[in-house]
Amino acid sequence: MMGSVLAAGGEAGAYVPAREPQFVLAVVLGLLFALGTFLVLRRDIVRVVWGITILSQAANVYLVTMGGLAGSVPFVGHGDHGATATTDPLVQALVLTAIVIGFGTTAFALVLTYRVYEEHGTIDLTEIGDTHE
Amino acid sequence: MQPNQWVMAAIVGLPFLAAALTPLVYRLLGERTAYASAAVAAVSFVLVGQLAITDARGLVSWTWIDAPGFDVALSFYVDGLSLLIGFLASGIGILILTYSGGYMHEEPGKMKFYATLLAFMGSMLGVAFAADLIVLFVFWELTSISSFILIGHYTGETSSQYAARKSMLITVAGGLFMLLGFLLVAGEGGTFQLLGTDQALIAQAESIREGLRADGLFVPALVLIGIGAAAKSAQVPLHIWLPNAMEAPTPVSAFLHSATMVKAGVYLVGRFRPLLVSDEWQLLFVTMGLVTMTVAAILAVGASDIKELLAYSTASHLGLIIAGFGVIGAGANTYGAETGAFHILNHAAFKAALFLVAGIIAHEAGTRMIDDLGGLWRELPIAAAVTVVAALGMAGVPPFNGFYSKEFLFEATYELAHASGGLWWILPAVAVFGSVFTFLYSIRFLMLFFGEKPDALGHVHAPPWSMRLPAVVLAVVAGIIGIGGITGAAGVHIEPLEAFVSQVVDATAIEHGGEHGAHFEYYLPTELTVPVLMSATTIGLGAVVYPFYGQLRDTIVRLRSVPVLSANWYYDSAVDGLDRSRVVESTIQTGLLRTYALVLLLAVSVMTLFAYAATAVGLPSFSGIVSPVPMVIVLGVAVVAAFAVTRAPSHVAGVLTLSILGFMVAIFYILGDAPDLALTQLLIETLVLVLFLLVLDKLPPFYGEARRSILARDAIASGIVGITVFVTVLVTTAANPENRIANFFLERGGVPAEHGTWILDYGGGANIVNVILVDFRAFDTLGEISVIAMAALSVIALIAMRERGETQ
Repeated sequence: MMGSVLAAGGEAGAYVPAREPQFVLAVVLGLLFALGTFLVLRRDIVRVVWGITILSQAANVYLVTMGGLAGSVPFVGHGDHGATATTDPLVQALVLTAIVIGFGTTAFALVLTYRVYEEHGTIDLTEIGDTHE
Repeated sequence: MQPNQWVMAAIVGLPFLAAALTPLVYRLLGERTAYASAAVAAVSFVLVGQLAITDARGLVSWTWIDAPGFDVALSFYVDGLSLLIGFLASGIGILILTYSGGYMHEEPGKMKFYATLLAFMGSMLGVAFAADLIVLFVFWELTSISSFILIGHYTGETSSQYAARKSMLITVAGGLFMLLGFLLVAGEGGTFQLLGTDQALIAQAESIREGLRADGLFVPALVLIGIGAAAKSAQVPLHIWLPNAMEAPTPVSAFLHSATMVKAGVYLVGRFRPLLVSDEWQLLFVTMGLVTMTVAAILAVGASDIKELLAYSTASHLGLIIAGFGVIGAGANTYGAETGAFHILNHAAFKAALFLVAGIIAHEAGTRMIDDLGGLWRELPIAAAVTVVAALGMAGVPPFNGFYSKEFLFEATYELAHASGGLWWILPAVAVFGSVFTFLYSIRFLMLFFGEKPDALGHVHAPPWSMRLPAVVLAVVAGIIGIGGITGAAGVHIEPLEAFVSQVVDATAIEHGGEHGAHFEYYLPTELTVPVLMSATTIGLGAVVYPFYGQLRDTIVRLRSVPVLSANWYYDSAVDGLDRSRVVESTIQTGLLRTYALVLLLAVSVMTLFAYAATAVGLPSFSGIVSPVPMVIVLGVAVVAAFAVTRAPSHVAGVLTLSILGFMVAIFYILGDAPDLALTQLLIETLVLVLFLLVLDKLPPFYGEARRSILARDAIASGIVGITVFVTVLVTTAANPENRIANFFLERGGVPAEHGTWILDYGGGANIVNVILVDFRAFDTLGEISVIAMAALSVIALIAMRERGETQ
């Protein structure tokens, strides 16, 4: 039963909105990535963590953008009400996972920062790098 | 009769299981773990014996993936050759593990030692029984790895590190060559199955040889596999790792580096003999074997340490076996196979015994230097008796066991030369020449026990029985084989032994018909034949030269110190040369995060932009702002917030503005019809804010002022990254691929109503995103949970461990 239903999935259909070039998002994401990169290159570990947070936020926004912004909410039954397209649920599922994992890495990075400060007495990456030379 | 699946699984699996349990067992039994491990080896030995006695031969296979073209199976094959190696691995395993109980008494790292030895034994049994090239390769590399761990047993010693690295580099590199050879052969045969079925590689040997030849790949395949065997079995010039491997504790040297692991190479040659038999085969392996036999024997005479002597001697005897398997010429091929098969057995018996004796000497006399030892028989009478049997076997003196297999080699080389003539006459000459040196160092080893005891040598203690017994057992085995030759001359043969060796010969036989079923027998020669004459010459010459042993050794040592003549010099130069590439490393690896981030981000950006340029991707023309106004406003605020983060005067201000960015992203998700994301984002953003504030409380304020030049450089780099992202977003959002995966879910989510609400019915949820997360991509979710769990554990470790004072 399950197998036969699964096999029926091959038909081509277009239930996700057609994409259009997103100029606003391109500019916004370009800026966010640039600012995130700038922060990652700082000497202060806390700022590096901020940079990583911004980069991952921007990446998530990019993925959601790729799912199409003009559809309706991906709930069962929404198609009944005349909407022709739904936003991509798969992308949303992936991003949801990514947000949670991003939280895990941020928490870890912060505690690591704290530990680095305890070990080295500084959060200046240049100083920490020098002690290893 | 087919071998029982469970017996086969137990033979190979049990040692690994025992290795995994060793930490537990060690906690319970302490030093007696040695005897528990020996018991495991004994079980494997009995099971191998059961296969041998019940005449269980053939294929045992567990299929894993059974798709056409992907027949992936764990398969083992039982025949004479695999049983021989299986007997050696498990039987000598029993003795070595027992011996270790005495030897390792005061040594460090016993738990690791026993676990690795057991894992090695399992790997070696795997190599012996493997019927599939991939299975063979995997177990083969496992033996290399366990050998690496065991050679580096004394992890603090520089010489151990050097030795372990050297053996790893050479044997693993050799293994990779071998793998390439396997791929060539398997590519031609269309299967990785080596033995046991009608389509197996050996079964279609002839067509594979022809096919490879037609593609010009025969010689490359042969040479590649030959390199693998040579690296493992320490053939010149790849022999150099073996003497260094003597850094390992002596039981390891006896087990891995004389009786079993180094036999893997000769086993490979024996296994592939029926498959790749050809003139090139003979040329390659007879040359390699005889050169190794001679060169290593000469080097053994030059040795100053008893274990070094035994190491070179091992390489030399492996050369003899390889030369034997190499002979395929007219009329001599049976002798060749008999040399190889029989000498594997003989060598394992006498060499392992000698290593155990060397361990006893080192342990009880406190030195391994040949010049400091002598007259030991008074204090070590049992070891002396063992040495008499084993060393005379090694020397090839009748009626001791090594004599018979060496006779087969002489016979094989003589027959070959006789049939082929010309340059082939070099072979018997070289065989005799190399054997003279073998005789010399064997006698030198024996003389450690006789003559005057040097004054400097203090009192030598008697070793514990756990160390004496294994050596005695091996000597008895060697002795019985020797006596079998004497009685054989009178017509009384040791039937089980000869029948077993016949089976080994069968497994390596090249023509199924002539040799097949040929009965193997050996006996002390009763009449004067050419091989007997060759043996007599060897012993005679050896006896004449022996008084000049000292001068001979000095000459060899002088020759060896000439760099160009020493293989070690090439190895060290090569490794040093590679080490010098650290210059590159120190400029790239600065230890500064910004260097890594900069290189990584710029490299990705530049490569991406380059790819766009190379494929001439056009930017879409500006078609107006498609985003609704609220979204534009929200995103605008987000960018302003991000700007504010970079300009934040303090950490707290930065975190607060970062939060603004996060909440704006949440609103963007609402506007983008992603309610789940918005909820998650809001929750996480709140948590992150709290977390940041908690941690920042503990950190000092730091305002990293940067020079203007650095700021400019970073701004340019950020600009490049930003432009890359800008272009990427534009290009990708303009693309409209067909058949998107999302359609699969949407159809079943009832988006066109006629498909029904499948997701609701079977997934039990109306929210498609949720159903995807818990049903379709449940593994992703599992991974996500694992990441959070790992992060939590790491946080606990980082904080709690510090507070418990477990650092420095």
